[in-house]
Amino acid sequence: MQTIDITLTVNDHQQIIPVKPNDTLLEVVRDYLDLTGSKEGCGEGVCGSCTVILDGHPVRACLTLALEANGSAVTTVEGLADGDTLTLLQQSFIDHGAVQCGFCTPGMLMSAKALLDEDSSPDRQKIRQALSGNICRCTGYAKIVDAVEHAARPEPGCPDCHTKETGGDHD
Amino acid sequence: MRLPQFTYHSPDTLEGVLALLDEHRDNAGVLAGGTDLLVRMKHRLAGPKVLVSLKHLDSLSYIKEMSGMLCIGAKTPIIDVIRSDRVKQQAPALVQACERIGAVSIQHYRGTIGGNILQDNRCIHYNQSQLHRSGRQPCHKDGGKICYARDEADRCNSTCQSDGATALMAMDAHLVLNSTRGEHRVALDGFYTTDGIHPFDMQPDELLTKIDIPVVPGAVSAYQRLSYRSAIDYPIVCAGIRLVPDQKDAGCIGSARIVVGAMSRSPLFLAKVSQSLAGVRFDDNTAFDRAGKDAMNAAATFAAHNAGADLAFRQAMVEKMVGRALEQAAAQVSMKIAR
Repeated sequence: MQTIDITLTVNDHQQIIPVKPNDTLLEVVRDYLDLTGSKEGCGEGVCGSCTVILDGHPVRACLTLALEANGSAVTTVEGLADGDTLTLLQQSFIDHGAVQCGFCTPGMLMSAKALLDEDSSPDRQKIRQALSGNICRCTGYAKIVDAVEHAARPEPGCPDCHTKETGGDHD
Repeated sequence: MRLPQFTYHSPDTLEGVLALLDEHRDNAGVLAGGTDLLVRMKHRLAGPKVLVSLKHLDSLSYIKEMSGMLCIGAKTPIIDVIRSDRVKQQAPALVQACERIGAVSIQHYRGTIGGNILQDNRCIHYNQSQLHRSGRQPCHKDGGKICYARDEADRCNSTCQSDGATALMAMDAHLVLNSTRGEHRVALDGFYTTDGIHPFDMQPDELLTKIDIPVVPGAVSAYQRLSYRSAIDYPIVCAGIRLVPDQKDAGCIGSARIVVGAMSRSPLFLAKVSQSLAGVRFDDNTAFDRAGKDAMNAAATFAAHNAGADLAFRQAMVEKMVGRALEQAAAQVSMKIAR
């Protein structure tokens, strides 16, 4: 099958990528670019584990044709951390126990990042709404919402938020 | 899950899109947001050989008011409809409906209002993976002769689960369809066939380009829906209402439109129940309860086991959804008077 070259700026690196018409954006980032952080869960837009940020908005990479993303900027979960330095949001996920099996985490992080980019201090209801398209089967969501809330507004006196500062031991 | 093979076109102009649809007709699929079409293609329920993308047709994405109509371009993303003050004021039911489509942060940015109206009818027995369906005989919509939703049915009993269409039909919306043959305007309540396999009265070379909603002075509208989860899921029952105050007595309903969605092959405009509300006062909750019951009785006959929930429960919930939407719409009137 013939391939078509598309220009994609992935995590701030512009690249020219040959794609087939029936390649999804998820297949391109995972299989062609080896950015396997974004996950394929259901593959039909229900679970949200493939969420990436496309031109500033969270979208399902499994339901976006690579060709439709031609000329766009994509941020995947790999684009969050600066080398080994995690973002506040990622650290907050770790600190608040928001990661269990971890399969939904890349999607949760991207949905949360898109929310925080738009509204730096969302209330709990708004966080829950923004994450409502992402399914997690482990955590029961409370800790994920905590993590996003505390990334937006680190709470004085929260023992988890302070782990990093005090260098405290989790156990 | 891989998509089947197809050729891809993304014309720069409306004429280019229409020419491709004319050339490829039944072999063509229109790609707007893709949140309905691509899923059906992955399930091998749709297999267009040619995908015509509307990516470059930004001219079909707008919300404006023109000659007494609220006009919405078919390619307008759901999020733009939700955030539009104009739509909030003129067509609150549509905002309520759009807020409930898919998931807040995701389908809203890709999904379009036109795509929501034209999402294919669904059935819990049909919208399944190829593997799931391969375990038994194909149903009517899948090319076979069996209906799993209703025993011994000789035709398809799929259901239209579009939130947008239910709200828009309540507001008496019209659709504008374009083709190389010209432009064609149709009332949404006359747009549906009674065939669950091909639910829309639309030719394969036609493209939905615009939705017109009449702006009626003093009109109020509301939308209520029931689904398993607040996000992602399709409605299992929904209702859209528009009430127009009487010209002589603003405390009375002049005309009403009650539409029940997700119960049949199209949203159901219940003309008789709607008429029964003419002359009723906006604070007459007893009349609203009665209308809810009448709506339930009228819609119940169409119900089939196509959305997962217990049938009796869905039927009973028609009454609740209609009743709640009526009360919510009527409350807007008292708010307007208070102002």
